[in-house]
Parts: sequence; structure tokens; C-alpha cells
Amino acid sequence: MSASSRRIPVEERLFSLVLALLASEQGLTKAEILSTVTGYSSRYGNASDRANLERQFERDKEELRDLGVPLETVDAVGAEGDTKLQRYRIPPSRYQLPEDIEFSTEEFAMLTLAAQVWREGSLSTDSRRALTKLQSLGVHIDDSVIGFAPSIRTRDAAHEPLTTAIDRGQQVRFAYLKPGQTVAEQRTVSPLSLVFHEGRWHLHAHDDVVDARRTFLLRRIVGPVSPSGSPATTRPEPDESARALDELDALWRSTVATVRVRPGSEADIVMRNRPGTEDVAEGLNVHATDLDILADELAAFGADIQVLAPDSLREGVVARWQRVVSAHG
Amino acid sequence: MAKRTVPLTAPDKLGFLLALVPYLIDQVRVTVTEAADHFGTSPDEMRKAVMLIAMSGTPGADGTYTHETLFDIDWDDFDERDMIRFRAAPMDDKPRFSSREAAALLAGLQRVAARPEFAARVDIVALMAKLARGSTGEPAPLAVRAAELADIQATLVDAVSTARRVRIDYVTTRGERTVRDVDPMSFEGVDDAWYLRGWCLTRDAERTFLLDRMASVEVLGAAEQHDAPLGTDDLFQGAETDERVTLAVPVAALPLIADYRGAGDPVRIEGERAVVTVRIAHAGILGRIAARVAGAVEAIEPKSARDALAAWARDALEAHDR
Repeated sequence: MSASSRRIPVEERLFSLVLALLASEQGLTKAEILSTVTGYSSRYGNASDRANLERQFERDKEELRDLGVPLETVDAVGAEGDTKLQRYRIPPSRYQLPEDIEFSTEEFAMLTLAAQVWREGSLSTDSRRALTKLQSLGVHIDDSVIGFAPSIRTRDAAHEPLTTAIDRGQQVRFAYLKPGQTVAEQRTVSPLSLVFHEGRWHLHAHDDVVDARRTFLLRRIVGPVSPSGSPATTRPEPDESARALDELDALWRSTVATVRVRPGSEADIVMRNRPGTEDVAEGLNVHATDLDILADELAAFGADIQVLAPDSLREGVVARWQRVVSAHG
Repeated sequence: MAKRTVPLTAPDKLGFLLALVPYLIDQVRVTVTEAADHFGTSPDEMRKAVMLIAMSGTPGADGTYTHETLFDIDWDDFDERDMIRFRAAPMDDKPRFSSREAAALLAGLQRVAARPEFAARVDIVALMAKLARGSTGEPAPLAVRAAELADIQATLVDAVSTARRVRIDYVTTRGERTVRDVDPMSFEGVDDAWYLRGWCLTRDAERTFLLDRMASVEVLGAAEQHDAPLGTDDLFQGAETDERVTLAVPVAALPLIADYRGAGDPVRIEGERAVVTVRIAHAGILGRIAARVAGAVEAIEPKSARDALAAWARDALEAHDR
């Protein structure tokens, strides 16, 4: 092979690494990998480059794990934790899709539609990769199912780093602007799940400073999300996201505000189109998960809306208008 | 398949190679064009990938790559007839999904599963179970609420698919009530907002209408075909006529008003306050910006905007006390 004389693309090095580790039953030590596998071996002879090569290998391992390749580390007997003697392997049984999993053309079309829900951001990358894997099964798409597609954006900058932190079990820090506040607070949390509800992305997490579960709106994470350097103190339960979604639903059902709107106004139409809104004697009953967020939404209607209940919401909306008046006094 | 527009990263390309190998082996012999179509890529990319695979393999027992441990293709068939056929393959496994990949599809399914026509054709629960079983680890914790369809939405979905003209009673962002006849082109959901795009016969132009702002929808009859120019989307693009207003908001609240700002517009930080320029179609938008930042905003200039925002808040307080 002329491996030493040509530049080897990253995907070729990663592909060779997967092939080598899948083929080896007992696994390979780091030295064996670096000295033999295409993409590493040509650089192995250069001792001054060795530290770079090892760091490269560490990053490649993360890449493979992120892609769902089950890369295992096996300690040598009697030498637990000795990274020189550890062996790396990919057990074919954990790598390979179970033989009995097949998808019909209609299921495939449905999955294509599901993937199209994500049009940008990390979820779109993840679903595109999943579709590529599905294509290995050779199923052809039945276009007839595809009519209209509801999409969800993942525009919040916090989305990708939180997804990665959950996947890797890392604790994170970020600046959070609580609804209704004007100064951000620093939070340190173990992220548990991401939930899309009422048109917004929510992070469900264990707040490690107050030692309690908390829900955060991704839109209100106003600074970068960075790993704290510590592992997460709490890990997601198998039904974590479903439970978080149910909790938000329950909160939404039980949180009711009563408003009066100017008939025929924008406020009237928009409030009536809001899911769950009911006509009552005093005006309209509307549902929400967070009264501070609702206060922002209602305040936007200005003179076309009056808030009747609850008191805290009425005061919140009035305070927003008063703040504007006093800023312009 | 939709054509790829995003540049592919090395992990994307690796995923492609790992999926391509078992596909090609299952096909036994396939043309470059057919394989490229199947994966939604170009024939050139497919040839490059096949050549990469054909030069790869596993290091043998002595740590060197030999003919026994490499992939091997029928080169004559490939070079002369653009056909792919493997003669030897050290690996033919179909890859599992990563936790994140499985989660992305599962959450996407949760979103679309509520549509009755899909539920009738596919057993969603069984499909979800298969995806979870085909994942390397527990699917990542991600959940979305199913998209609910109200009566108006059902009417519009139907109008789009059967090409019916609709009359909508609509309130504009300026708060004006208007009745429009529209020949629908598409009905799209973005987050929890739904948009009807169509040819507005009242304005004789392509327009986009937000479902939230429709008081009612009436189906009129057959729609006509219109040659709509592409890319005239007045709802989502700032018009040249937009007014520029200088505002001060708390520094932390800056991300909350990002959609009103131009990408390269400067920000001046003055202690706890950020001074920025926003682009607005009319003064009515100022109240909406104020509400996003919980009222913590000052319109600095022009004076007309300052007066308009102050009057908006005073009117709201006055109406509320009545």
C-alpha cells in the first residue's frame, strides 16, 4: 500500500478503525491500533508526533461513539485501568442491527416524514444519519404518503451542546434569564431530557446547586452551555422525556387565566385560536404552562386585552406596561 | 429524496460508508447510478466511495494489510460498465442507530403520528419499538407533543390537497381586519405556528397567512393555477420600507429580540444596558418587542417611535383600569 505517500481522509481513517476493531475478537491495544491501522500507521514511526497521534485517537473514539458505534474498552486481567494494556473492540452483536428488524415501504415513508420534522440543527443531522443507515436495508420510498409535514426548528444555540452533554453524561453550566426577570443567573445542572411543548423547547434537569429538578426554557439560556468538567450527578431514567412531557401537560391543563379581549381584535382572534381556550361568562379562559411567559404574551396585545385572573398574572402584565411608561417618562 | 444541501462532515461520510457496504453486498451487482440514487448522492460521490471501500480492509494477524483482508471489487466491471460488484468483503454488517439518531426519528414520529391517515396505514407503536430495539443504547431522552389539528387546520389541509379556493377572515399584524380569497399552495407547520401560503386574489400576489390570525375559513370552489414567482415572501423578509429604531434593553435580554435585528447590526453595551437597532414594519411592532423583554425597554430614537411606544403602554394601562 502507498499509505505513507498520500494524505488519508478522516472518514477513511475512521472506516479503517471500525473495520479493524470489528474484525478483532480479543480487541487491539492502542499501540497495535496506532502502528497498524490505515490513517494512523503512517504517522506512528514519527516519535515527535506520537502525542498528537494519541490525541487524534481519543477524538476518533468519541466520534465513533457519537455515531452509535459500540466501542468497548477491556482491561487486561490484573492490570485494571492500565491504558497501555487495555484492548479496544467493537462486538459485532452490538454493532449489527438485529437480523429480524425490517421496515416496510410504508414504515420507511413514515420514518422519512418523521425525519423531515427536523429541518435544521443537530436533530436534522441525527435524523439524516439515521435515514442513511435505514437505506442500508435497501428499502425504496413510497412517495404517496407524503402530503404536508409539520416541522420543528431547533434554532436555540443551547440545543446541540445539551444533547451532547446528555449523551455523554456531563454536568453543564449556563446563564439563564428567568421569565419575568431582566438579570441572568448562572446555573449548574445535570441535563436529563429535552422536551418540545407549546411551541418551545424545554430542558428538564437536576439543578445541582439547589439539589432539585428544574425545567428551563432553551430560549432563555442566554449564554453558552459549557461542560463543568464533572460528570452528571443524575442520569435520565428510561421514561425521562415522556414523564417530563406529561408533567408539562398536567401543568398546562391546571394553569388557567381569565382574560377579556376587545371583540374582533387581533387579541380576540389569536386567543380563540390558542389550543384549549374556552368561552366563560367573564371572557375567555386560556391555558399556559408558565404565568410569566403568558404575561409576556398577553402584554403584547396592549389596550386590546384585560387580565382578570389570577392576580399575580394581572399584576405581572400591568408591571410590564408600567415599566415601559416609566422608561419613557 | 431531497437533495443534500448541508456540507457533509467526516462522521456523516463514515455513516454513509458503513451503510453503503451492506447495501452493495445485498444488491450483489448494481449500477453506480442506481446506488447513487438510492442514497441521494451523485454518481461521482458514489464512485469515490466505492474506490475508498475497495482500498480498505483489516490488518491481518501480522498487522499488515494483504489481499486476503481487503475488500475486493470487480474492477473491469466497475471501470468499463460502471457496475459495482464485490468479490470479497471482510465486513457486511448493517449498523444500528445511535441513541441520538433513534431519538430524532422517535420524536419526529411523535409529532406526525397524530395524523389519522398515517395511523391507519402504519402501526406506530410497533414501529417505535423496532427503532428503540435497533439502537446501540437507550434512545436519547427527547420528546415532543403531537401536533394538534383544530377544525380550521383540517379544512386547510383538505383545501390544499383537493385544490379548493378559500375565503379567510384575517387580522393583519397591523391589527386590521380583512377578508381575502386565496388559492392555496401549501400549508406548513413550523414549531406550533401554521402558515397558509397561496395566491391572494384580493391582492393578486403570493401571500402567506398565519393560522393564528384567521377568524374563520370558508371553502369556495375549485382553485385556479397561478404562476407564482419564487422567493417573494413578504411575511418573513424585512422590506426596504422597514423603519430603523434604536432601543435599549437589558444585556441579558438581547437574545430574546434577535429576530428583529439585522445579522451584522452593531450593539453598544452601556453597563447593564445594550443599545441596538431593530427593523420594524410599523410602530405596532414596538409593543410586541417590549412584551418579549418583560417591559424592560426604552425606545431612544426616532422620537416618533419613542412617543408611539410610550403611548402604547399608557393606552394599555388606561384600558386595563376601565
